[in-house]
This record gives sequence, structure tokens and C-alpha cells, in this order.
Amino acid sequence: METGQDSFVIRLKEGDRQAAAELVDRYYEQIYLFMRRLGHSRQVSEDLTQESFLQAWTHIGQLREGKTLNIWLYRIAGNVSRQCWRRHKRTASIDGFDVPSGGESDSDRAEHSEQLVRLKNAVAALPIKPRQAVVLHYMQYLTIAEAAEAAGVREGTFKSRLNKALKILRRQIG
Amino acid sequence: MSEEKLEKLLNELAEKTAEPVNPVLAEQIKLRIPQRLVSRNIGGPINVIIDLRVSKLAAAAVIIITMIIMANFFGGRNQDGTSMYENGRLLLKYLVGGKDAERGDIAVGISKYYEELTNRGIEAAYYGDVIDLKDSNAVLMQWKLPGGEYRVIFSDLRPQTISAEELIKLQSQMLQKKTK
Repeated sequence: METGQDSFVIRLKEGDRQAAAELVDRYYEQIYLFMRRLGHSRQVSEDLTQESFLQAWTHIGQLREGKTLNIWLYRIAGNVSRQCWRRHKRTASIDGFDVPSGGESDSDRAEHSEQLVRLKNAVAALPIKPRQAVVLHYMQYLTIAEAAEAAGVREGTFKSRLNKALKILRRQIG
Repeated sequence: MSEEKLEKLLNELAEKTAEPVNPVLAEQIKLRIPQRLVSRNIGGPINVIIDLRVSKLAAAAVIIITMIIMANFFGGRNQDGTSMYENGRLLLKYLVGGKDAERGDIAVGISKYYEELTNRGIEAAYYGDVIDLKDSNAVLMQWKLPGGEYRVIFSDLRPQTISAEELIKLQSQMLQKKTK
């Protein structure tokens, strides 16, 4: 829990534009990386990050004290991302983000790098909801409870979604 | 592969994909913070329009005209006794005042963004000094992307990626408007 978060939420709800700017500074990187890890290109991720904050301004009245701000933003961002995939009727681009090779020369490192690339592609190929579950929990480091709230489902549903995703990933990368 | 190893790999993938984020993005988002985050209680339907901000001028105009027509029909009074003309005037005042303030902010913010891009060695073109900022379809700034397309920011701060042909079309429209 962040220090003074409740008073920050109150400032936001009172329409304090300075607080709104602070909200951007605190979370824009997290939201952008969330979009990237979901498989959106750089340009699209920038657009969707902007769109997420615009939606946040619109729904600021629904923000409640005691709610964790980043979870609230992740929920909005997740919906924005899903709408984007539906609009374009495409799965995530496997070139959505790059895994740096690090210039390894020995075969173990090269194999490890190869495994990461396969995993990246497998994550990108997951259906939207399991992909969001994996990204929220393992790549944005939210707890199961937080990630479930961000996904707008109960913990049980979230865990089952996550297990399904892990099963697919394990099968894909061997 | 064990679940533990897969989880470890996913965490590692997260670290490897933590790319640097364009710092200008934060400024772009801040420029789009609405003038009023909380609606003012100056008449139900009007709040909706204020929340939509000045880029929805056309929608606002339709409602104002409707209100004026209704006012002519019903003697210029809402159910709660407030004057429809008064609401219309308040709305117009907000739109005109808000518009001036906001366009100033846009010009300053985007010119900073332009400087940032040129400092990074990106060839960008800024048209803030020559275009009509009230025209939401006017191109405020544009730069070429590696794939041959163009990234465009319109005067209402709407970003879009377009082809070279579309850019030429937009620029010709701007030129036509300027010569009128």
C-alpha cells in the first residue's frame, strides 16, 4: 500500500490537475510496458497508454478510497488493450517486443536465449485473457489477488486462467 | 519443463523486455488532462458536453441550437426554472475561454516535444506557427517513421500513423484552407 494513497485519491477525485499529472509520472512506464508485453508495437503501446489515462480521467468518479491506484489503472489498460485486439481482429505480433541476445557466444547461453525467444512467441500467441493473466502476474509482478482484481475476476477464476496459460506455454516450449 | 523453471523464465523475460520508455510520452499524456476532471453542476446535459472538451465543438453547437429552439417553444425555461438561454451562454463562455487557454498550452507543449525529437536526431516538421489551431484536422507536427510511414500529431493532440499519400492529402487540405 502506498503512503498517503487515500489523500492522493481524494485529490484526484476533487479534480486536482497536479495530482493527475503526478498519476501520469508514477504509472505511465508501467502501463506502457504492460502494453508492450501484451504484444502491442511501440507506437500502438504509446497510443494505448494515452488512451488508458484518458479513460482514467473519464472514470475518475468511480475511483474509491482504499483502492490501489495501479490496479485500477491496470484494469482500465487491460480493457483498452482488449478493445484494440478486437478492433483489429489480430493476435499479438510475435515481433511485438525484442529479447536482447546479450551477444552470448557459448552454446548454453545461445540455447537459453533461444528458449526465451520461443517463450516470448508462445506468450504472444496465447488467447487475450490468459495472456493478460501471465503478463500481470509474472511480468508486471502483481500478486494473484492484485492481478485478479486488475483482470476483474475472482481469484479462483484467475488462478484457473493462469494454470491454463502455463499449461499451453509448457507444451509450446517443451 | 517444471512450473518453477517456467515461472523463472517468465520473470527473466520480463526483465529482458523492460525497454526504456519514451519520456515525451508522459508530457503528451499530461497535455491531455482535461481542464475539468470533475463535472460542474450547471445543468445536466451541459456537463456531458463539458467533459467532452472543446474538440467536440460540433456536438456542443448542435445542443445549443436545440436548446435555443426549445427555448423558443417553451418560453425559455427549464423544468427547474433556470433559463435555457443562460445555460447556453454559460456553455459558450466555457467553450470560448477553455479553447483559448488550451490552444496556448498545446503550442508550448508540442514545441517542447519538437525540440526533444530534433535533439534526438529525428527529422520532424512543426507547423504550429502557420496552421489554424482551431482546426482539429490540421497537422501540428509530423515525422517519418523507419517503415516509411509518418507519425502525425493533430492540433487537438490526436496522434496517428499515416502513409505518405495520406500526409500529402492532409497537407494539401491545410494549404487550401490557408489560401482561402
